[in-house]
Amino acid sequence: MAARRRVYVRGVGAFTPLAPTWPATAAQLADGACGIREIDAFDATGFPCRHAAAIATPFPDEDRRLPYARAAAREAWGAARVSVAPARLGVFLGAESGRGRWQTVVGLARAARGEAGAFDHTRFAREARPFAERIDASVISPSAVAAALAREYGAHGPVETISLACASGSAAIAEAARAIRLGEIDVALCGGVGADVDPLMLAGFGLLGILSPRGVSCPFDAHRDGFVVGEGAAMLVLSAERADATVELAGIGRTLDAHHLTAPDPEGDGAARAMTAALRDAGLSPGAIGYVQAHGTSTPLNDRIEVTAIRRVLGDAAERTLVSSAKGALGHWVAGAGAVGALYAIHAVATGVVLPTAGLRDPDPACAVPHVIGRAAKGDVEAALASSFAFGGANSCLVVQRCG
Amino acid sequence: MTRVAITDVAARGPYRAGTAPAEEPLASQRARKMMSGAAYLAACALAELVGKLAPSAAERAELGYFLGVGGSAGALDDVTALLDASFVDGAFSLPRFGDRGLAACNPLLAFQLMNNFTMCHGAILESLGGPNGALFSRGAGTIAALGEAHHAVRSGACARAIAGGADVATHPVTLAELARDGHLGRGLVPADGAALVALAASTGRDDVVLDGCAHASGRGRALVEALNDAFARALRAATSSSADTRDAAPTWAREDLDSVGHIALSAWGPPAAEALRAYAAARFPFATLVDVSTRGETLAGGTAFALIAAVELLRSPSLEVVRSARPARAVVLSLGVDGDPGVILLSRGGAA
Repeated sequence: MAARRRVYVRGVGAFTPLAPTWPATAAQLADGACGIREIDAFDATGFPCRHAAAIATPFPDEDRRLPYARAAAREAWGAARVSVAPARLGVFLGAESGRGRWQTVVGLARAARGEAGAFDHTRFAREARPFAERIDASVISPSAVAAALAREYGAHGPVETISLACASGSAAIAEAARAIRLGEIDVALCGGVGADVDPLMLAGFGLLGILSPRGVSCPFDAHRDGFVVGEGAAMLVLSAERADATVELAGIGRTLDAHHLTAPDPEGDGAARAMTAALRDAGLSPGAIGYVQAHGTSTPLNDRIEVTAIRRVLGDAAERTLVSSAKGALGHWVAGAGAVGALYAIHAVATGVVLPTAGLRDPDPACAVPHVIGRAAKGDVEAALASSFAFGGANSCLVVQRCG
Repeated sequence: MTRVAITDVAARGPYRAGTAPAEEPLASQRARKMMSGAAYLAACALAELVGKLAPSAAERAELGYFLGVGGSAGALDDVTALLDASFVDGAFSLPRFGDRGLAACNPLLAFQLMNNFTMCHGAILESLGGPNGALFSRGAGTIAALGEAHHAVRSGACARAIAGGADVATHPVTLAELARDGHLGRGLVPADGAALVALAASTGRDDVVLDGCAHASGRGRALVEALNDAFARALRAATSSSADTRDAAPTWAREDLDSVGHIALSAWGPPAAEALRAYAAARFPFATLVDVSTRGETLAGGTAFALIAAVELLRSPSLEVVRSARPARAVVLSLGVDGDPGVILLSRGGAA
């Protein structure tokens, strides 16, 4: 059997609440900057959380996924300097649904409502037609963003949209790597996008009771009380050809908790199995990992259980492996979270700069690992692990390492 | 090379508008209440399929599950309650929405809204812990889910995997989307349903083998060109699992293409079906053809229903009406609203 094809990171890009490029974002993150502010894009009075890591936009009512992803993709593609035939290029994106306008949603709901609130198909067929003109699949469909990117970059290979909640971005990168390994394609544009600073998502997460009432994202802190929604896009260009790449995607691990819709397995079993699978796939021992980009949501349960899983997998190496979470500074991007987490890990391997967990001041003793607090740490990181754990129990872990 | 067999199938639907499925007992009423329509149908089909497989607890923990899913959507009653409580003097009020709207709404609504929950509800009920994926699908995503499952089994990531699709095309927002894009006007019949297949390494005594599947981008090129590309990719996917497949010889040779006896189609409405029929007629003029979309289009589920139809055709000699010998191979062609065509290649066990 032929050797497995290797997957090289040729370029990265990000569009974040802090800056419109990844280098500018990373520079601010290294200094301990935080992108979380009081929401001013809409009136959030009465909502369970009134803070978010939002990107200032003149079009708050419109679907923002595409401009975010487009900006990050442009940066990653420009850095990659790849040349590829259309049939050998694929696009893999972690994304959830976009948003229709409120007036449309309200109108549709009312048009369908018959006697006693039951769905009335006849009434709906008669009254919903005017609203139909306002439902644009190219705006609300999860796959619209990947399709648009494929069109713009002339990709004739597979175009896939992974909707795996908080693990979407990570799983999309994993799927892109799989396609390159198998020789289905030579180059992949992949990553994730989240644009969830809007009333519907705040309402949904508010219903679950998992947002920080204080509007503070402080993963692993003793005073953490929930997460803060963020938004942005992070994209990578992966290639089978190394060229001048210094980092490769070496390991993938994906599991299901099969435990609970929102709570992680109490022993961190699913998370630990995903980390272990990624290490095994990369052919690395736990001691080889110099940095863990944790999922670190700032919810009381996730962070404690995630640290339990990290300790379980890394063993003694957990005492010296640096850990941080992007969500302290950038909030939770949901479908984009795993992709920006991957950028943290790649940044650590490529530059030796381990970005900190913003918001972390007073580490919870139950989350005791070598946290990166305040400003970035410097270190010789040969390999790094990036974890994403989704509502519903889907886990996706990536291992990146310096090219040998 | 590890070949992958389709060992079992299960489905719910297609249910056209107004023909709701009979309620099936799941873990609890609370679990049912948290599910979207697609999640419920997928969970029912999954329960049946896992029941057939009868895995041990350890096998469940390693069992893979890959699902093509549509945009999830909440129950209409909850959405309207949430919205109705959010008006002040006839105008929609965001602050009111964030306060009284949320209070009026079933707090479990959030569990219905995320696309991945279409997969996760059933996985939790059946304690499935292996590799997984929820791929958004307007046709091609379900092929991608099947491809991931195929690879997971071939590469040894899991011994068995379940793959398929589930969707609810009769939800009001989806109906509006279909109407806006002209699909309803062109004859698409929306339906709800879930269809799943179980994959495992072939024992050599299997009824049906999944040789390969692939999809290709249809953007900016003619459908026939994109279909040919998807077909070529599927042929390459039928080669060794972990090697570079670009130059490998396909397991389907020219004579194998001649032995394709069945074509199963999944297409978004009559125009797309006509295009696939024309392609199939030109490439496989002697194959029998079944179009599952005529029973109702289940969107992300449609390709999986076509796959099950092809499996049943290969399994059932009584369905063969043209040839004296049972055909050795079948092909599934799919074309969703995304315009990305997909191809699945199947063989009768022992045909290779």
